[in-house]
Amino acid sequence: MEQVILQDQEGVLAWVSERLAVAMRQAEDLILRDYIISAASQINAGGGSNGFNPTNWGLTDFSGVATTLDTNNAYKFETGILGMDRFGTGPIRASYFCLSSTELQSDFDALVGQGVINNWNYPSNASAIPNEWGSVYNLRILTSSEAPVARNAAINNLGQTNDIYYNTVLGRQAITHISQDGGSMNLIYRDPYYSGMLAQNATLAVKFWQSQALTQDTAIRNVLTTRNTSLGV
Amino acid sequence: MTEYSRMAKGRFVSTGGIKVINLPFQPDSVEFWNFSAAGTPAQNGVPYAYWDSLMGQGTASAQYFNATPVLSTGNVTSGGISTFSAGQLLQFGPTLVVSDITKASPASVTTTTAHNLVSGDVVILEGLFETSTTGMPQIAGIPFTVTVTSTTAFTIPWNTNQSNYTVISGAATGTPRVKKVLYPAIYFPGTTVISNITLGATTTVDTASAHNFRVGQEVAFRIPQQYSTVELNSLPNNLTPGAPAYGYVIAVTDYNTVVVNIDSSSYTAFTNNVSVDNSVGLSFPQIVAVGDVNTGGTQISANSVLYPPPQSNPIGTVDVNTINGPAIRGAFVNNTSQGFIIGNGSLTGLASTVLVGANTNVIYWRAYLCDQSIPS
Repeated sequence: MEQVILQDQEGVLAWVSERLAVAMRQAEDLILRDYIISAASQINAGGGSNGFNPTNWGLTDFSGVATTLDTNNAYKFETGILGMDRFGTGPIRASYFCLSSTELQSDFDALVGQGVINNWNYPSNASAIPNEWGSVYNLRILTSSEAPVARNAAINNLGQTNDIYYNTVLGRQAITHISQDGGSMNLIYRDPYYSGMLAQNATLAVKFWQSQALTQDTAIRNVLTTRNTSLGV
Repeated sequence: MTEYSRMAKGRFVSTGGIKVINLPFQPDSVEFWNFSAAGTPAQNGVPYAYWDSLMGQGTASAQYFNATPVLSTGNVTSGGISTFSAGQLLQFGPTLVVSDITKASPASVTTTTAHNLVSGDVVILEGLFETSTTGMPQIAGIPFTVTVTSTTAFTIPWNTNQSNYTVISGAATGTPRVKKVLYPAIYFPGTTVISNITLGATTTVDTASAHNFRVGQEVAFRIPQQYSTVELNSLPNNLTPGAPAYGYVIAVTDYNTVVVNIDSSSYTAFTNNVSVDNSVGLSFPQIVAVGDVNTGGTQISANSVLYPPPQSNPIGTVDVNTINGPAIRGAFVNNTSQGFIIGNGSLTGLASTVLVGANTNVIYWRAYLCDQSIPS
């Protein structure tokens, strides 16, 4: 009897499908990211000491933008974490999210001990999400390598250059993401058929029709900063 | 092997200026025929051109008519054909050195080499220190819409003829430079820097770059203390703390001037004569597009605070007011795009030739994205 394989858990195709799903979500993120850069108002950081405009993050910048959002009645994302009797930890305030760049983590590290707390020093980091760097005042800082940055966009009075980072600080009601007409995601797959030596003509794609909107302009600010530490390679 | 190739064709009437063609892909080769120039051979006419991505962006190989006129050939090395992908913000053109910025309104900027800008482009100026303590760093980082005055000069809508501004000259120590914002209007309307405010029964706002507002757009203000007119800020609201104060665009004068229905007669006069000392950490005054508004279900009519609302048009020319706020009229627009550009550069050594043709020339084009390119 001849055996016929009816189903093949093909490794390459499974991998491509996974990557495609990730790519689609990344595309969504980039659209929303750029939309926020365009639509949300901006604050140039001035609390840092590096002499650029904007400056690097200073403690007064964290405090100032949290105060602005509080005054504007923005909703916080996270409730606080009560202090515990554990060495090196401290209580965490109820917080907005600050979406920042991984390239600024060295700057945040330099502020530890001045009110800036790494998530490992939370009384309990059970509520910390994987890309959460830490907390300062009423902000919990999430970092991403996809965060927006304008390279060499700041020049100081010595002619030195620095990168400008767009740190989005937002409350819960600030933005929304709308799947229009149920178009969350469509996976398009057309299997290979013969037309060439290798039949390399399959189609695997996704499409989505969605829109982004600022639902409350007062609950979001882009804090522009430069960097105080050198970038690693 | 054409499984993945993409092809497109089209036609347009040239204006003599650069032509942007939107496509659902970025081509790797483009060719076009100038029907008008081919039909009436005349000196400097360019009836045909070809571009391949391997030639480099902004180039082309073209045919032209010489003085006889007989067909000959030449190449375009700048201002040729290029592709674009306006999918992300924060994409910039090449950085050019600025030699001079005048104290004037509008201020005039001169570059050391040809800037290749056209009026309406948006640029950002950087490093505007004449000395370590003087210059124009107050305007560094602001997106400006330019008006081109020569191949190496343009103006920006800002008054630098003020006491705290110092002329930028060739001796500047701060490495003044300029770069083009490639895609300033991917999403609009958004946040725009204010260059001037005229107070009164209504408030007239001038912006440094195109605001893209429509009549009825709801707007908010973010005015830092240094610019004085803080009473316009949506928050803090001095009258009702915690309640954001908004205005509505009641007239659009031009690309960078709008009139807002806020009575600012008693407000503090606007100034952008900020000192150089305050340029570190300086935030810019902004006018911001606001989203939808809740009217509480009250229909909006003429002379109400939220007038005019968006309107439906159920039959004929009858417009019916909605209960939605007017902000929806200026709803945000997603303008991401890609395709190719036919420039208005000249063939090398033939300054009178124009790749994109003369005004009213009819041009037919084809664009390809090929499966294979060897070498790729």
